[in-house]
Formats: sequence, C-alpha cells, structure tokens
Amino acid sequence: MRRLAAVLALVVVGAPLLVAPSSSVVTLGVLALILCGLGILVGTPVLAVGMIVALAEYALALRLADGPPRLAGAAMLGVALVLLLEVADFGLRARRAAIGPRVVAMQLRAWSLFAALASAGALLAGAAASIASASVRMPWAPALAAAGAAVTLVGMALALAAARARSDD
Amino acid sequence: MTARLTPLALSVVTVGAWGLVLGVLSGRAELVVVVLPLLLGLLRLGRAGSARSVALSRAVSAARVFEGDRVTVTVTVTASGRVPLLELYEPLPPALRVVGGETRGLFSLRRGQQVEWRYEVECVRRGRVSLGAVRARLWGRAGLEAGETSIPLPWPLRVYPRPLPLRRLPGPRRMQAFVGNYVAPSVGEGLEPGDIRAFVPGDRVRHVNWRASLRFRRLFVTQYHQERNADVVLMLDTLAEAGTAPNTTLDASIRAAAALATAYLARKDRVGLIEYCGPFRWVRPSSGRAHHERIFEALLRADVMFSYVTQEVALVPRRILPPQALVIAISPLLDPRFEKALVDLAARGFDLMVLSPSPIPLVRRALRRTASAELACRLWALERRARADALHRLGITIVDWNPAEPLEAALGGLTRSRRRGVAR
Repeated sequence: MRRLAAVLALVVVGAPLLVAPSSSVVTLGVLALILCGLGILVGTPVLAVGMIVALAEYALALRLADGPPRLAGAAMLGVALVLLLEVADFGLRARRAAIGPRVVAMQLRAWSLFAALASAGALLAGAAASIASASVRMPWAPALAAAGAAVTLVGMALALAAARARSDD
Repeated sequence: MTARLTPLALSVVTVGAWGLVLGVLSGRAELVVVVLPLLLGLLRLGRAGSARSVALSRAVSAARVFEGDRVTVTVTVTASGRVPLLELYEPLPPALRVVGGETRGLFSLRRGQQVEWRYEVECVRRGRVSLGAVRARLWGRAGLEAGETSIPLPWPLRVYPRPLPLRRLPGPRRMQAFVGNYVAPSVGEGLEPGDIRAFVPGDRVRHVNWRASLRFRRLFVTQYHQERNADVVLMLDTLAEAGTAPNTTLDASIRAAAALATAYLARKDRVGLIEYCGPFRWVRPSSGRAHHERIFEALLRADVMFSYVTQEVALVPRRILPPQALVIAISPLLDPRFEKALVDLAARGFDLMVLSPSPIPLVRRALRRTASAELACRLWALERRARADALHRLGITIVDWNPAEPLEAALGGLTRSRRRGVAR
C-alpha cells in the first residue's frame, strides 16, 4: 500500500510541473513531496498538510501558465488526491495487522469504482460549469467560494448527524 | 457502538476547504474541479457496517499451561450481514507475549461468511490470565468513519510455574512412619543392610547371614534399615519481591517451590506449603497427584500482598507444620519479619534450611550499568552476607542461589553438607 501511495504522491506533486515547470513550482513540489512522504509513514494529518502544499503548487503553476482551463487534468488530479489520502490511511491501518482474505482486492475494487465515478462526476460538473459560464455572466469567484463553503458545511453537518445517529445505535 | 468521524474525513474536508480558498485566491476554475472529487467522496459517509452483523467466538489451544509454553488463539468471525471492513484488536495481558501472527486483524466479510484469525502467544509469567474483550472497529470502505465496540469473550487461562529440573534433593534428618524412599535409622523390612544380630526363633531363613554364621559357628541374621518417607514443608516468603516481572525474586522462589514440590512428591513424600505474607496461607502436607495439583494452584495465586498483620509461627497448627518435617524456607530475605519467623522455627527445633534467591543479579539486570549502581549492588551483597552469617550463627542452613544459575547447582552443595551433618 505504501508503494501505491508513493506513486499517487508523485502524480499529485508532478502534475503541476507539467503545467508550468518553473523553479518556484519545483521548490513547492519538493516540499509537498517531503511532507506527503512523511505523511504516508506517519499519519494522515501530515499527509493532508503535504497535499495542501501540493494544491498551492498547482495553483501557482496555473497562475504562471495562465492558459485556458484544463478541467480534465484537474478532475484527474482531484481523484488522485482522494485516492492518495485513502490509500495512505488504509496502509497505516493495515500496518502490523493480519489481513483477511479478499480485503485488499475488495479495497482496490472500491477505489477503482470511486475513481471512475468521481472523475466522471467532476468532468460533468466542469462541463456544465463551462456551458453555464458561456451563457450567464456573473462574478464566478465569490459564487464558487460561497457554493464551496455551503457544500462543506452541509457535508460536515451530514457527517456529524450520521455519526450521532450511529452512536445511538 | 460508538461511531465517529476519522482523521481521514477531517483531512478530506480540510484539503477540500483549502482547495476552494486557493481557487478563489488564484481565480482558476481548475482548483474547484480538483476539490469536487474530495467533496463527492464525503457522500460515502454512513456506510460502515453494524456491530450486530458480526459474531465472534474464541478458542485457545490449551487452558492450562506452564510458563514458557505457547498457545494458539483462534478467533472466528461470522458475519450475518455485509461488513465492508472490520478491524479487530485483542489487547493482551502483560503475562502473555505475541510470538506468531498479529493481535490486530482486518477483514472484509460477505453475508454469512466465516473467517478464522489465529495468532500465537507465549505465556511469560505464571498466574490466572484472562483473555478479555475483543475490540472491534467497523470501518466504511472509504475509511471516513468508524464505529467502535467491545465484544466480551472471557477465556481463563492458567499459567503454572515451570518446575526447574532437579535430580538431587536435600534429605530430611527425620522420617515419618510411611513407606518411602529414605533409608531410616530404624531397622525392619527394607533393602539396605544394617546390623547383624543372633538368630532368634521366628526370624526368616532368608535373612540368615551365612558368612557370619559360618565364622562364629552359630546362626546370625542381617537386619535391614526401614525405608520411610518424610514430611517436607515449603515456606514461601511473599512479603516482598525485587526485580522486574517475569524475573522477580518471587517468580524465582515460586519456580523453586514448584521444582521442590514436584521432586519430593515424586519420592512419595508428603509436601505442604505455607505462604507467609504477613498472615499465613497454607496447604496441608499430603502426597499424590491430586495434591501436586493443589500445590500448583496455591503457587498460581501466590503474590506479594501488603498487610499490617504479622502472625507468629506458633499460630500454624501442628497438622500443617509437623514437628518432624523438613522445612525449606524460600525467601530473598528482604523483610525482617520473615527472618524473625525463621529464627522462631529454628528455636522450636525444626529441621530448617533456607533457600535464598538473590535479588542482586535480578535488580542489576534491570538497572543501567553505572558505577554507583555497581557500588550499591556490592554494598547490598555485603549486607546480605552479614545477615546470612547472623542466621547461620543461630544454626540455620542458608543456600544463596543466583536465579540465573541452575537450582540443582545451588542445592548440590547443601546436599553434601547435610550428608556430612554440617550446617553451613
């Protein structure tokens, strides 16, 4: 699992270099790679910090490249981020544990299914946003921020409600 | 079952939020698209299995073992519903050590599926060990939330002290009336030739000593020493211990007591046990296999227990401490109360010897090697020597035993000195 997580970390950190291979992006990439590597070995919170640095690296690369939107690549990067987090977390859980039959196979199948669905969903959403942006003119950045904040809040509320319901179980 | 969000879920939310912030700051739509799979992943919350759909059972390869033995623990997991990911963890008591497999397992189960999980443990220290509850954690496939529960599966395991090998034993000075393996001074039926006396009517012809009869031209018969058993009382000091488990002075004392009890019972002697922990606890002297079990059960529960009570040896009934018995006191001589009891026993004329497992090598092993520690150990050794000499002057035989060395070697010197009738 660690090897798979390391490959995904390389993908996450290396993708911005394909967009804009400048020295500042490389510097952030190296920092992100170190943090991700440490996170794979130590724990998910450290990995999350490494991934935030990788996102900053991606944002910087997009800013430097200043080209047309690359939504397909972004969707793939998003899927790689989720998989990296989940694979590294599973690797930490599976360390020094007896693994039952079919556990890894079932996990790989679940991740593959999620990757396919999530990338398709992200692409569809991106495409819908592109079509909408051509017809409707509005300040997208504040709207997206508000939508994102709302989605995050709703997600958290749902998660907490689910957790509370299960603890009563 | 208690369900909670995992650090992974919080990490996903954090990374997603930061992605949105960076998207707004950079004004690039790609960062929002990057965040979308993270947010979609959160939709998988609430898919962890239920604890009701899992049934556990445990089997252990042996219920009664000796120290150092290994047992295999088998946990069988049966799922009555689909379980995406089940994590089981079995916390072990300090008396057990894992030597094969893992005490944590991860399983994915279909409805009706049964999985066996095995691991091997070594029983490090004597005692009544209970394998208690198994901790179960039910994860969603994504690992975003986990429900925790504890499934009680009590399984008692008895770990008996391992008897140390012994071939030679200190012989008792006084015998009992029953047949045994010791050559008694009294004459009668036996195998060991004793004295020769003149033939009297009623003597058996096969006891006639023909060589003496021919020389003196009258009939003489050979008398034989009777073979008798003895009462041996093991007196265990549980007032104090030194060292770190499973190699404390009490552990060494109990192993020695187990070895002595096994060896004396094999010789058909009656063996009793007195545990002195302030008050007395005892097992009445007897013989046989059932009694062997009884003594081992008593040794199993022997432990250091603080008490303000200090009973006198005079309170021990005669049936527990017979006057003719050989008393073997096993003590590291750390507590003056036990020394007082020894002096009392010696004053009452008991055939007494003290086996003293030295605490110094055990403590030295646990300490870091420094000059001050070495000096302290040397001073301690001198102090022990002085106390042993004081007891020796009162006529008490003391055997100093380094628990790292074989018990037989320590007792070897004692058997020789007792044969010569010399107390050290």
